[in-house]
Amino acid sequence: MEPSNDVALDIIITNVVAVFRTRCHLNLRTIALEGVNVIYKPEYGKVLMKLRKPRITASIWSSGKIICTGATSEEEAKQGARRLARTLQKLGFKVRFADFKVVNVLAVCSMPFAIRLIDFTKKNRPIASYEPELHPAATYRIKTLKATIQIFSTGSLTDLLGI
Amino acid sequence: MAAVGLKCPECGSLDIVDDEHYSQPQLVCADCGAVVSEGLLTTTRSEELQGTDVRYSNSTEVNKQPCRNQIKGIHRVRALCRILRLSFVMEETAENYFKQAYEHPSFIRVSLQKKEVLAGCCILATCRQHSWPITMGTMTCLLEANPKLMGVVYQEMVKALKIEAPPTSVIDLLETHCQAYKLSPQHVHEELSESSKDLTKRAAVLLELAADAWLVTGRQPVPILTASIYLAWQSLKPTQTRLKYTLARFCQMAKVAKSSIAPKRVTELKEVLCKLGQELPWLRGSEMTPQTVVQMVDDILNYRLTLLRKALKSHEAALASESELPPSLEDTQPGPRDDAPSLDATASQPDAESAQQPQQDVDLTCTVVMGGLSRAGSGQVSTPSKRSLFEPPSVTHAKIRRVQLPVKEVTGDEEISDSEIDSYIRTPQEMRDYAEAKEALSSSEEEF
Repeated sequence: MEPSNDVALDIIITNVVAVFRTRCHLNLRTIALEGVNVIYKPEYGKVLMKLRKPRITASIWSSGKIICTGATSEEEAKQGARRLARTLQKLGFKVRFADFKVVNVLAVCSMPFAIRLIDFTKKNRPIASYEPELHPAATYRIKTLKATIQIFSTGSLTDLLGI
Repeated sequence: MAAVGLKCPECGSLDIVDDEHYSQPQLVCADCGAVVSEGLLTTTRSEELQGTDVRYSNSTEVNKQPCRNQIKGIHRVRALCRILRLSFVMEETAENYFKQAYEHPSFIRVSLQKKEVLAGCCILATCRQHSWPITMGTMTCLLEANPKLMGVVYQEMVKALKIEAPPTSVIDLLETHCQAYKLSPQHVHEELSESSKDLTKRAAVLLELAADAWLVTGRQPVPILTASIYLAWQSLKPTQTRLKYTLARFCQMAKVAKSSIAPKRVTELKEVLCKLGQELPWLRGSEMTPQTVVQMVDDILNYRLTLLRKALKSHEAALASESELPPSLEDTQPGPRDDAPSLDATASQPDAESAQQPQQDVDLTCTVVMGGLSRAGSGQVSTPSKRSLFEPPSVTHAKIRRVQLPVKEVTGDEEISDSEIDSYIRTPQEMRDYAEAKEALSSSEEEF
């Protein structure tokens, strides 16, 4: 490939995980009985609520901590979280929208070339590690960004960024 | 006062004190000195306060003595080293690693199971540092442990001790793997036997070919080793008897464990050999099938560089003729050159992070393939045929991603199609029912 060839890489964000707190105790049984689109998991002590408009699945604990997964961008995650808080408010709880924080972002990308993993790991030790018997991809960890990138031999990259 | 309510039998005073006569505890009256009662002169071991086992954290001991599990672990490390016949230096290194890892905060409180696996992981790391070829699978079998647990503990250990253990390459593993195959004349029939040296040599060449054709990267090493040894064995003496042996029967004969993935690798390797074998000039254009390719493997491997060049040339020619036909392609390839990909030109390809450093004759194959790959892949055109001659199998059988259809907003003003119109128009019965209901409603309203 000539260096002047500017290939625009499509980095697609597939998952954004965010947490927030409602600062009030939530009765899981009430949510499970009266809420719409909920799944009650008593063995884990949580309720799963799925929203349609920003496609989000939220795990709700009785302490008031909520984890939202499935969003495709940070704004969507915040929107979904707010919508969720509003739904809980309508169910009768005195919720507040507090401590919203995006925890994890997962993105995928595809390189237009294949990658020879063994040579790649040799050149990038110890940042990159590759164990063919355990997992088919090489793991590249960037400490400063707290990112873990999994590199497959087909050229696909999966990037997990934890904040 | 020793105890409330105790009275001296002699003088009747209540002042009884706890006193010891040498080491015998006694209850004595403070006024008259009479002994009220006395304890035992000797004590049992459990009553002794001095000289009992004290915890390291409560003592003033400077060096911590190894606990029982640590000693057991070190014995296990030594035993495994003896089984694997490692050198004394390696044994010492492994023991050191184990001691350091055991005392590391991330391993001191883990379950005993993990500590057992830790012993194996230390030996694995030592072997890798000294370039002693051993797979994680072998170590897992020796320890009879869960492979996933082994992986987890190994990665944690490497991170905790901050050691660098370069993983063994597949080719290094080949020789040890080959020695496990019992194919000497004393084990099998003479026609089926093969010396380990010849087998290793032929299998090594096949393995390099597989590595260039993207069959090794990202896959488990053991099945590809089995596949290359099987094909090497068949091709060294391609008699009908040998060709009739399936992979499963071969593994049974050589007393080696079967694997479900190895047959797939055999198929893939045969395909690669077919592609090269197609270019053999003495075939004169007849088809090369996976069944007939085994007899030709000898020739293919001897002339593989030339065949590779010819195969790339004909592939590029095929791509060129295809790209000429549809003129509406966005980025047409800049006309793949007809000259054979020269070995010097490929050295300047910097794109792939894994650009090989040409070392020997073998690596020239790699650079030729890389040249073919990168040149063919420079255009962004998605031609129906493969972009390059050798592509990773996961690219040729790509996963089709499910595309989420955009959710359409329903407004109510949409056109009603002819097939649906019937559900909107009322039937005569419905019209009558509707009229009656309306009348009934209006009459009940009038009443009120």
